[in-house]
Amino acid sequence: MTSNLEGTEPPVIAEVRDLRVHFGSKRGRVHAVDGVGFQIRDGEMLGLVGETGCGKSVTGRAFLNLIPQPPAIIAGGEVLFRPRGGAACPACAGSGCHACGQTGGETLDLLKLPQDRMRQIRGARIAMIFQDPGKALNPTLTIGVQMAEVFLQHKSDELLQDAGISADDRNLAANALRRIAHQEDRWLDRRLKRFPPLRQAAGRIQQALDARVAAALAETQIANPLRVMRAYPHELSGGMRQRVMIAQALACDPDLIIADEPTTALDVTIQARILELIKTLQERHRTAVLYISHDLSLVRKVCDRVAVMYAGRVAEVGTVSDVFSNPRHPYTQGLLAAVPRAGARRGHLASIPGSVPELVNPTPGCRFADRCSQVMPACTQLDPVLGSVGEGHSVACFLEHPPHAGAAKIEKALTE
Amino acid sequence: MQLRDYIIRRLLILPILIFGVSVIVFTLTRIGGSPIGVYLSHEMNAEEVAALEERFHLNEPLYTQYWYWLKAALSGDFGYSGVASAPVAEVFWPKFAATMELSIFSAAVAVTLGLWLGVFAGTRRNKWQDHVTRVVAVSGASLPLFWFGIILLIVFWANLGWFPVGRSNAEIWASIAHPTGFYIVDSILAGSWQGLVDALWHLTLPAITLGFGAVAIITRMMRSALVEELQQDYVDAARAKGLPERLVLNRHAKRNALVPTVTVIGLTIAFLMQGAIAAEIIYRWPGLGRWMASAVVRGDQATIMTYVLFTSVLFLFANLIVDIIYAKLDPRVRLGD
Amino acid sequence: MAVTDLPTPPKRETAFGVRMRRWRDLLKTLLSNPTTFIGFLIIFLLLAMAIFAPFLAPPNVPDPYQMPRDWGATRMPPGTPGFPLGTTNQGGDVLYGVIWGSRTSLQLSVIVVSVTVVIGIAIGSIAGLVGGWIDETLMRIVDVFLSIPELIFALAVAAILGPSFTNIILSLCIVFWVKYARIMRAQIILIRQADYVQAARVIGDTKLSIFFKDMLPNASTPIAVQATLDMGNIVLVGATLSFIGLAESGIAEWGVLVSEGQAGIASGRWWASTFPGLMIFLWALAFNLVGDGLRDALDPRTEDKR
Repeated sequence: MTSNLEGTEPPVIAEVRDLRVHFGSKRGRVHAVDGVGFQIRDGEMLGLVGETGCGKSVTGRAFLNLIPQPPAIIAGGEVLFRPRGGAACPACAGSGCHACGQTGGETLDLLKLPQDRMRQIRGARIAMIFQDPGKALNPTLTIGVQMAEVFLQHKSDELLQDAGISADDRNLAANALRRIAHQEDRWLDRRLKRFPPLRQAAGRIQQALDARVAAALAETQIANPLRVMRAYPHELSGGMRQRVMIAQALACDPDLIIADEPTTALDVTIQARILELIKTLQERHRTAVLYISHDLSLVRKVCDRVAVMYAGRVAEVGTVSDVFSNPRHPYTQGLLAAVPRAGARRGHLASIPGSVPELVNPTPGCRFADRCSQVMPACTQLDPVLGSVGEGHSVACFLEHPPHAGAAKIEKALTE
Repeated sequence: MQLRDYIIRRLLILPILIFGVSVIVFTLTRIGGSPIGVYLSHEMNAEEVAALEERFHLNEPLYTQYWYWLKAALSGDFGYSGVASAPVAEVFWPKFAATMELSIFSAAVAVTLGLWLGVFAGTRRNKWQDHVTRVVAVSGASLPLFWFGIILLIVFWANLGWFPVGRSNAEIWASIAHPTGFYIVDSILAGSWQGLVDALWHLTLPAITLGFGAVAIITRMMRSALVEELQQDYVDAARAKGLPERLVLNRHAKRNALVPTVTVIGLTIAFLMQGAIAAEIIYRWPGLGRWMASAVVRGDQATIMTYVLFTSVLFLFANLIVDIIYAKLDPRVRLGD
Repeated sequence: MAVTDLPTPPKRETAFGVRMRRWRDLLKTLLSNPTTFIGFLIIFLLLAMAIFAPFLAPPNVPDPYQMPRDWGATRMPPGTPGFPLGTTNQGGDVLYGVIWGSRTSLQLSVIVVSVTVVIGIAIGSIAGLVGGWIDETLMRIVDVFLSIPELIFALAVAAILGPSFTNIILSLCIVFWVKYARIMRAQIILIRQADYVQAARVIGDTKLSIFFKDMLPNASTPIAVQATLDMGNIVLVGATLSFIGLAESGIAEWGVLVSEGQAGIASGRWWASTFPGLMIFLWALAFNLVGDGLRDALDPRTEDKR
């Protein structure tokens, strides 16, 4: 929250640039995400707020390239990511330049990355916490097996080392074990695993694996990890399951976690504790978190900065203190006014008139124009773009940045 | 363990169901008339008939008759088959082996092919491969098995002459010993290539006829289950861990899609046993089904009763195995009642 | 999510009106699905064939459901003048059998489906509403019935009743009610716990009126789907029984005709089995397509997510 007081800001670790995701439907293309852009700085918690269907979940999934195509079509834009300790920036060979944001690290466009590179990032460098842990855990596998997958996928070499199998061993048994640890075991390997000498070695791998899984679970304050590892998802409570999901996300100590409404599906009494847990772990690991939520009060409590989305676009970005104390976009103002407060006049709940527009073949102009109380003629003809209104605070609204003559043409040229 | 309790609970219900089936079957046959019809002949006088009635306890109440029948059945005496002109128990086993060979072979092929096709179509949803598979599956489920068999016979036997009818070439059959009654197994035991080829050659058309409907049913279920599972969050969660698509499909989606499909496979067993009757008639396969078909037309009650009872017991056991697999696949089932 | 104009003040809709509108919507969804549409088309053509049978093929006297025999024209191939689809070994006109067989199948399926639906609803309702030991007993009987494969059960019953087409109908009625009883009972137990039934009870509706106003209409959807599928399935099973030899030989029924034609295939006379069998296939296919479409349209779960 106080990042600009500390002098140097942490480097940008991920950035979304003009992301456009469309969905094919019977009535035409739904522009679910239509030119979204924001940055995530290393170690910060960025809140992404908006109503249901504004495209915030799709934006979050873009970081893992988990947007199902079809029905979705990625119509444009970039999702950039700079892993910590990654390869050197090809432009400046690690000395720091404009292309790499002075970090010297390599910048990856996650949407264009080949599948196998993407898999190395998923779960290891970028992890995800899903909205409903009851659905995001496979009902037919034990927690232990599901957690183990992450380690087997990304830490198999360390596991082999722990089990005392050096990388130089190239005999039949070591090769079989290597395949088992890399989850590439064949039918014969699974049979061999049951007999000595492989049985002992496989047992050591399993021990190393169990130890890691148990440690990861223990970190999310699960009291008896060993029992939880043997349990099936349906045998755990909702809060417990979400702890498992969090443990799984943190397993490989990722640089960025996408948390897609992680408390929405939980009981109100548990929400606060899970939220606190995420915050604590985020601070301990210095992990950047994209916290997707429709709940403004939650975002205010835990996030450093916030991006407000409306109908597939970012309406306002800024630090939590700036946005909440001095909202500049009429939509943000409306949202904040709609949050019920203790001590407010009884019997009246503020709301924004109208409803979210249909995103099928949208016409140019501000998406909020239909519902805005301060609408101007320009709002229905031109798309407002994000512009600065203070340090680290930007708004896409003509009230702050009146359109100048000829803006329509320039913007069109830019988007094309 | 919970799974063991579940199996025991299921095993305990089994005798009750079998008892119920036997009561129904027995009642049915007694409604149909006297069971001594097959022993009667025109030369018998009234006393001889009365003696027979005495022997079969026909003048006693129905439940006593049932008791006598049950006692005999438990000791392996299922009565006299008029169609086969021999005691039922005597002709049963060779025919049973013939039917089982056909059914097991078809079932194995149908389950393997059905699951494979279901995954093939489900992972290519709404592509042309999917549409073709679905059309084949829907028509397969509507195809009258006896007609399909006849069409195959018209094409491959009557016109092309590629495949034979019957179970075996008599000469080759006679040249090897038959300790098990399963032609494939026997020819392997005898080390006879000729016998194995002959067995498979005769098996091909009946197995296709019998298996096609089952393939259709299994494919349809596996496809729709897989499509549904692939939309679940846990599949995306597995991808988000960085798992390769191979593991996402094999360890996660396929495993869960198997849960509903396994139930359908249980029903397919009944489908195969029913279909065996028509298939055996068409291909002159010397099995239980063909025996049952002639028994049905000629009112041979002992055979009908044994056959119905036997298929039901087989069906119940098949379903028990299916339930166990089901409980093994889906841990949530074991919790229930 | 949609921006809609302010809705015009809703006209007061009667319950009947609502129901009619729902049926219209359902029909529209059904017909927009191409495979369901094909199913409807085939059913329409088969029904037309059954209705106009006397005009398509002059009825045989005295019994039109008996195949006419022309002993002067046996084993004629398709295309013979007077016998477009050929004749059987016994001089039966295959086209006549195909046309009048649709009437036989229609009778078979309509009678069996309506009888089994009624029995099933009755038994299922008694089990679901009364509960206790009656429920327990009925459900154990249902379990026993389900342990015998349908076709084999029907085959045994028909055999013991004696070979005739009427007995085939009777045996199918005895065997096929079980699924409906299960569906009905499950629906009643499900609905009994639903909020709106609790509400109806609170405002003082009698058990009987709750049954007719809430339970029966709600159970009708899964029963309708099952009945549609059974319309095809029963013809399939019935034809199998008559193919095996449980119907009188010589009646105009597709399964009997396939069986009659079987004798000729060794000598290359393929037509007598092929055409009637094709009709059975089309019949079953059409009802399966419509049944599947109906299930998809009525079950919100199968709709695509997102």
